[in-house]
Amino acid sequence: MSATHVADPHHHHAVADKTQLAPEKSHLGLTRPDRHSGIIDWLTTVDHKKIGIMYGAAAMFFFLVGGIEALLIRAQLATSENHLITAELYNQLFTMHGTTMIFLGVMPLSAAFFNFLVPLQIGARDVAFPRLNTFSLWTFVAGATVLNVSWFFQFAHTVGWFGDSLTIMGADQPLSQIAPAGGWFGYAPLTGREYTGIGTDFWIVGLQILGIASLAASFNFIVTILNMRAPGMTMMRLPVFTWMTLITSFLIIFAFPAITIALAELMFDRLFGTNFFRIENGGQPILWQHLFWVFGHPEVYILVLPAMGIVSEILPTFSKKPLFGYPIIVFSGAVIGFLGFAVWSHHMFTTGLGKIATAAFSLLTMAIAVPTGVKIFNWMGSLWGGRIKFTVPMVFALGFIWMFMMGGFTGIMHSSAPADAQQQDSYFVVAHFHYVLLGGVLLGLLAGLYFWVPKIFGRMPNQKLGYLTAVLVIAGFNITFFPMHYLGLTGMPRRTHTYLGDMGWDLWNLVATIGAFILGIGVFLCFVNLAWTAVKGPKSPADPWDGRTLEWSTPTPVPAYNFAATPIVQARDCYWVHKHGDKKMDYQPDDGHGIHMPSQSWWPLLCGFGFALFGTSMAFYAAGVPFAGYCVITGLGLVVVGIYFWALEGPGGYHLEPPHDGEAAKKPTDSPVATAAH
Amino acid sequence: MSHATTWKEAAILENARYHTFFNLAMALAVLTGIEIVIIFLPWAASIVMSVLIVLSVIKFFAVILWFMHLIYDKQLLFWLFMAGMILATGTMIALLALFSIDDVDLADIASITSYASNLA
Amino acid sequence: MASQTANPPLDDKLLEEIHADSHTNTGIENKKLIMWLFLASDCMFFGTLISTHLIYRKLYPFGHPQEGAVDITGTFDIELTSFSTFILLMSSFLMALAVSAMHKGAIESFRRYTFGVILFGLIFLGGQVYEFQHFFHGQGWYEWTATNAAGEEVSGTEANEGVFHDVADTAAAKANFLHEHHGYELTEFKELKKVPGLSLQNSVFGSTFYVMTGTHGTHVAIGVLWLFSMLIYSYSGRLTPRNAIDVEIAGLYWHFVDIVWIVIFTVVYLVEYIEL
Repeated sequence: MSATHVADPHHHHAVADKTQLAPEKSHLGLTRPDRHSGIIDWLTTVDHKKIGIMYGAAAMFFFLVGGIEALLIRAQLATSENHLITAELYNQLFTMHGTTMIFLGVMPLSAAFFNFLVPLQIGARDVAFPRLNTFSLWTFVAGATVLNVSWFFQFAHTVGWFGDSLTIMGADQPLSQIAPAGGWFGYAPLTGREYTGIGTDFWIVGLQILGIASLAASFNFIVTILNMRAPGMTMMRLPVFTWMTLITSFLIIFAFPAITIALAELMFDRLFGTNFFRIENGGQPILWQHLFWVFGHPEVYILVLPAMGIVSEILPTFSKKPLFGYPIIVFSGAVIGFLGFAVWSHHMFTTGLGKIATAAFSLLTMAIAVPTGVKIFNWMGSLWGGRIKFTVPMVFALGFIWMFMMGGFTGIMHSSAPADAQQQDSYFVVAHFHYVLLGGVLLGLLAGLYFWVPKIFGRMPNQKLGYLTAVLVIAGFNITFFPMHYLGLTGMPRRTHTYLGDMGWDLWNLVATIGAFILGIGVFLCFVNLAWTAVKGPKSPADPWDGRTLEWSTPTPVPAYNFAATPIVQARDCYWVHKHGDKKMDYQPDDGHGIHMPSQSWWPLLCGFGFALFGTSMAFYAAGVPFAGYCVITGLGLVVVGIYFWALEGPGGYHLEPPHDGEAAKKPTDSPVATAAH
Repeated sequence: MSHATTWKEAAILENARYHTFFNLAMALAVLTGIEIVIIFLPWAASIVMSVLIVLSVIKFFAVILWFMHLIYDKQLLFWLFMAGMILATGTMIALLALFSIDDVDLADIASITSYASNLA
Repeated sequence: MASQTANPPLDDKLLEEIHADSHTNTGIENKKLIMWLFLASDCMFFGTLISTHLIYRKLYPFGHPQEGAVDITGTFDIELTSFSTFILLMSSFLMALAVSAMHKGAIESFRRYTFGVILFGLIFLGGQVYEFQHFFHGQGWYEWTATNAAGEEVSGTEANEGVFHDVADTAAAKANFLHEHHGYELTEFKELKKVPGLSLQNSVFGSTFYVMTGTHGTHVAIGVLWLFSMLIYSYSGRLTPRNAIDVEIAGLYWHFVDIVWIVIFTVVYLVEYIEL
């Protein structure tokens, strides 16, 4: 191994020293892309922090895309008998809005936090499999591309680009359905070849590829959290966010296979005429609903548990108290995760499951409210008697508790099957899950962004703008979705393009649309604030909030190796105890070999490229485009080539010498806040 | 896991395992033979079914415990795998219980089939 | 490439280093842990596939809403499948020995066992291809009578492979018969028993059966490719006892494919023969 030692005591951040290293050569004689900076560095990076930032950037982009789709939906529904957009486009918009927000917005933004924070919170230098992490990122980008490239072709058809050449996408397929239009749940038999066009193929393959990305990332995080903890960081000393990451990862690895197989069966139905969901040949469309919700319900907890973890970090920090009932919060999270697999049929009460099944799923659904309630009481316990500081992240986190609770209450209403039969497929359900996913998850994630951005970019977001966005988002959100409870209970159905004027729905729809635009402005300003912070914001100290967990003990910006010396953890909330308590953190002695860093790699990127080619051409193949089959094989071939080269090049690696400015470099710098608190 | 400190120790350990693996492989072959024979015996269906399930479970655990080293490894691995196995089995049983032929209208399927074939 | 044929000499210090390198919080190597997680997740993959199959078996006792579309036990060839099952079990045994060999640092015996695993894996795959092909074409048994130029009459029975390949086509059957038995002209033939072909499209049973066993077959094929790559790699001389963990996780994957087959063999093949 060609390990290179760089000893430069005056250089504080060893990251920049990469240009001075002799590059690692793999067994194949190829040079690893370690020496680069700029675009090549970002494309080939194995650094979990950079991967996290890229996940975050992609997620925000898709939040904006999904947001624009939502605003178009609301604009269409603002008045009765509106014909701003066609019914077909409306179907595509709500399908892609749901799919985008769930798979390309919330999940990757959670993944951004997993990536950036988990190794820092457990005192590790990287994840267990750095290149697999890069693979997850690029596979996610590939899946997102496949899903959204359908919009490009739809747009091209609408404005008339490429002339008639788009008609090669299948002679028997309506070209107004290039973008997916079957709903994010893709209920059979609507997704059958007879009813929807090439859009469904884009949707199937896109979700398959996103599934691979999520699975790979989850395997990686479970191994990282179980195996890579710093000495003394026992499981019951893990920060709650890391615990929730662990539980979420388990949910992903057990829930995604169900949708993967269901999608594969659907793809076989569409491509090869099998009979899984085709009623005319004995298939049972209801089976799709079951398989989808076997995945779909755990998915809800996959979305919400990370936000719960974020809030569990923020509330104690700004209450200046330890988290109330830490073991109970962890245990409740695990129980929610486990029970999440046993309640899927509550999405299907109106399909007629039979009395026993309905009663059982109803009871289990009510049971799952218990651990959720336990968490809320524990968060309130954490606030009680604390010295609460209403910082921007704290305002968002408090908003989370309140809004999520409202979503939870309507959830309990749904768990009662007779009530659910009234609310099924009405705007009441839309209100419910937006309170959970937007009022809950999005507020939690925004809280996390405002909380950790100073650590991520080393710069402070504008606080005034932060408060303004918090008010706009929370107010706009309630103005949008609260009236939907009324709309739903007065019978307005979901997924309808328009409605008649004499139904009494006009007023609340108009209010909801106005609220949606306020919400949109709020989220947009929030992202503008963060983007501005990343480039121009004022410098932030390493520990601006007087934090409790290990990530705040690192210098800002965090060096490539995270910790110059591995910390030895003495307590839960170890950094807080280090600063204000009696148990000082210790550091493992330097072994004199420098820090081993994994080498960067091109191959995960090649795999991602292969997946994008594979996915896009798979949809074209289903549509009967000539030569698409060869492109499918080429795409898969690229993935295989990528995997072989990846295996053969080996982990590689080089050594970095951490800075030696005496003891100061080893110990975390006490922030001004921390000093003042003494 | 083996905690052999010398290659010689490792060899002794692995050679002892050879016999375990050999006996197990023979036992598995015999169990499979029994499975194939009993399906043709004139026993009650419930008995044959029970025997088949028991034998399969025995074979399943024999492979994961010895061939896959779970008996030599940390317990954590066993429970991680069992988590997936139990969830998969539980979901399968629940799904099977949820489906019933009473909910399927075969005449309906036949009419849809003939309708679809008329369209084609 | 430096080709090493014999087992390289081993230093006990190497073993110490291997143990030290694999130190983790749980005492389980990262690679082994991720493999087990993948296998736990894979249980759900196969669980979903087997559920789909069993749900439709429960709904449709004939394998399809209409009776006669499928003849399940007639289609199955339990002797061949039992042989395949036995082969896969024995390949699992060889795999366990290959892993054992790596733990001893015996590269040469690792190569021999791995070769055996690959061979058995290929036999299994060959069996599956043969099986699929025969299931797809279906089978028929016929009684025939023929006369030769001298006017002598002979009769016999035959399965449709070859001669009566296309049952409906009498002319083709006559031509085929003449081709097989020179000088004899087919005068009449009668169908004794017919098993319809099983395809992805023609029945629900065909869809679930082929997709499920095909997914398993794909797993086997990936395993064969993985072990084959490892075998080739071992001749580069870079596969050292340090890589015992890499062999071990390939082994875990292979054994998993075996246990999935243990389940499929019982719940998909054997239970069909139980008369209710």
